[in-house]
Amino acid sequence: MEQKLIFIKDTDNSQDRINDFYAFFLNALKENKLDQAAQVVRVADIGIYDKGLVVKISGGANEIIYAFVQEANINDIVCRSVKEDKIIPELLFKDSPKQLRIVLRNCGQIDPENIDEYIACDGYQALEKVVNQLTPEQVIEELKKSGLRGRGGAGFPTWLKWNLTRQAKDIQKYVICNADEGDPGAYMDRGVLEGDPHSVIEGLAIAGYAIGANKGYFYVRAEYPLAVERVEKAIKQAYDRGLLGKNILGSDFNFDIDIRLGAGAFVCGEETALIASIEGRRGTPRPRPPYPSIKGLWDRPTAINNVETLANIAVIILKGASWYSAIGTEKSKGTKVFALTGKVKNSGLVEVPMGITLREIVFDIGGGMISDKEIKAVQTGGPSGGVIPKEFLDTPVDYENLQKLGSIMGSGGMIVMDESDCMVDIAKFYLGFCVDESCGKCVPCRIGGYQMLSVLGAISEGQGKLEDLDKLQRIALAMQKASLCALGQTAPNPVVSTLKYFAQEYHDHIVNKKCRSHKCKHLLNYSINQDKCKRCKVCAINCPVKAITGDKEKGFFIDPKICVRCGKCFDVCKFNAIAKE
Amino acid sequence: MAYTKKDLEKIKNSLASQKKDWIKVGMSTCGIAAGSDKVYQAFIEEVKKRKLDIQVKQCGCQGMCYAEPCVEVHLQGLPDVIYGHVDKEGVIKILDKHVLNKVMVKDSIYDLRTKR
Repeated sequence: MEQKLIFIKDTDNSQDRINDFYAFFLNALKENKLDQAAQVVRVADIGIYDKGLVVKISGGANEIIYAFVQEANINDIVCRSVKEDKIIPELLFKDSPKQLRIVLRNCGQIDPENIDEYIACDGYQALEKVVNQLTPEQVIEELKKSGLRGRGGAGFPTWLKWNLTRQAKDIQKYVICNADEGDPGAYMDRGVLEGDPHSVIEGLAIAGYAIGANKGYFYVRAEYPLAVERVEKAIKQAYDRGLLGKNILGSDFNFDIDIRLGAGAFVCGEETALIASIEGRRGTPRPRPPYPSIKGLWDRPTAINNVETLANIAVIILKGASWYSAIGTEKSKGTKVFALTGKVKNSGLVEVPMGITLREIVFDIGGGMISDKEIKAVQTGGPSGGVIPKEFLDTPVDYENLQKLGSIMGSGGMIVMDESDCMVDIAKFYLGFCVDESCGKCVPCRIGGYQMLSVLGAISEGQGKLEDLDKLQRIALAMQKASLCALGQTAPNPVVSTLKYFAQEYHDHIVNKKCRSHKCKHLLNYSINQDKCKRCKVCAINCPVKAITGDKEKGFFIDPKICVRCGKCFDVCKFNAIAKE
Repeated sequence: MAYTKKDLEKIKNSLASQKKDWIKVGMSTCGIAAGSDKVYQAFIEEVKKRKLDIQVKQCGCQGMCYAEPCVEVHLQGLPDVIYGHVDKEGVIKILDKHVLNKVMVKDSIYDLRTKR
């Protein structure tokens, strides 16, 4: 019989009870003569938060989780659940796990450099089924029923993209895997490529079969050396076993894959710029139509899919469209991988069914805020997305809902912000990113972005005027309407959404010359609290511009005209005597 | 060689019937940045030193980037557990306590509640 493990964790941080509970469990086990059959383990994280003392018993017929356990329950738990595998219904924690792993099904499970381990997890079975049993039309039909939408951000139905490319008449067609992930704070594609590269290769081969292409490309950014290395190894292993190349798995389907490295230009994630980059030209977008499904790589019909989209394909084929479409909301099916980062306790890759609320992601999976500061907003969609204020945390996450809130699903970056984040500063950061990454081909993006950034810069330096807010809105509208590609069209989104939800903060910056979050350093004023000051002179010694003068009798003072707001005095003062406001 | 459906099945069955203890180290960029490559090497060396019959493997990101380097231990007769923030000292603790004596290392297990 397996030895049982009793995991205990006090998820209520306000009390220090865990050692007592540990002792109670040991005693109870001893009294019941179970100390050989089970061990009690204090764990660092049990995946459940703010539910009192959580106890998880594993090793029995079923895993049992209890929450809000009290001292009086312990003997009962040992006698009934540990000894006899019985459940105590009053204590049971019924909430099922929030995460559902479809795309990340093998990530962290298998060795990504060993194709056999992927095959052991039903790998390449879907490709086998597709090439030997299904027609391309059936594959597309299955995807249509599944409701899968592109995971790159815009949410275009995958089946439709494949069908358009399939219907385009040409002797040569291509499929491309877009792994040019560049949003700040987002690394879902890297996680998949590094953890389970074969699932993407299999998806790409199936895409090739469905649209009638015999050539596929991986467009991976060169900043992901490990991902590139693992994809290269995986492609080679697949060739060695005849899973790529000629007559795949005994069928007459031939498919080759090549890797192209992107030099790290953000705009190359846009499909027409990506195509230009693969062709060896400068990575700039071109007007659409014609869409790549008609005229793409080397002017041939081309289907471009995101890494995460392709990682979904094999599972859909194997488990069926109806299984997949049962997950998620009415219009957004399946799951979405998010890179949860920012001021959240458990940053990491999470995969959740569509329709889960932001609150569940941040608090039940992410474990809540990292400090005791309150949550202010969640940023989704990277530089193309927007911020969602805390009032909307209970919104179910899907393509439509996020768009309604002025943000987008995006590729899956999710950055949690707290009271110490200044929204003007955030808007400036994201816009600055897009201005840096703008290719400069079209005027609205090249000049509009720059102008918006200088207005934002002025506001954060206390030089803003109220009419600047209108100016920002006007330029934003022009960029959204007139930019050539999605980079320029969506670049104003972070500004527009912060203006919508945090107008008061912009007003504070412009009218009161105050930054509540103490982020915009031009609006900060440092002063010395004479009651707390011990006159140790450390601040004056450390001030790089000698703005602090005085002596032990009179005390020390900061001259705001000389002060450059570097914050050095604030950092070095041991008595918290430097006031920042 | 060119595989057929039978070959896929054969590999699947042969791996599924393998009953071996293993230690898995998360070796994605998030893990390596936190030092998992050193942990992986340490496991290989220490396992060799102790002449243990346990396989040391690498895997991708388990999703708990905040707790990297993450190490999952599978021993027959015990539930699988994931240790987080493992360093060289942790490697020795895991081998001496968990693998050799089947006693869990306290305060370092991170539980990941996911459905697959």
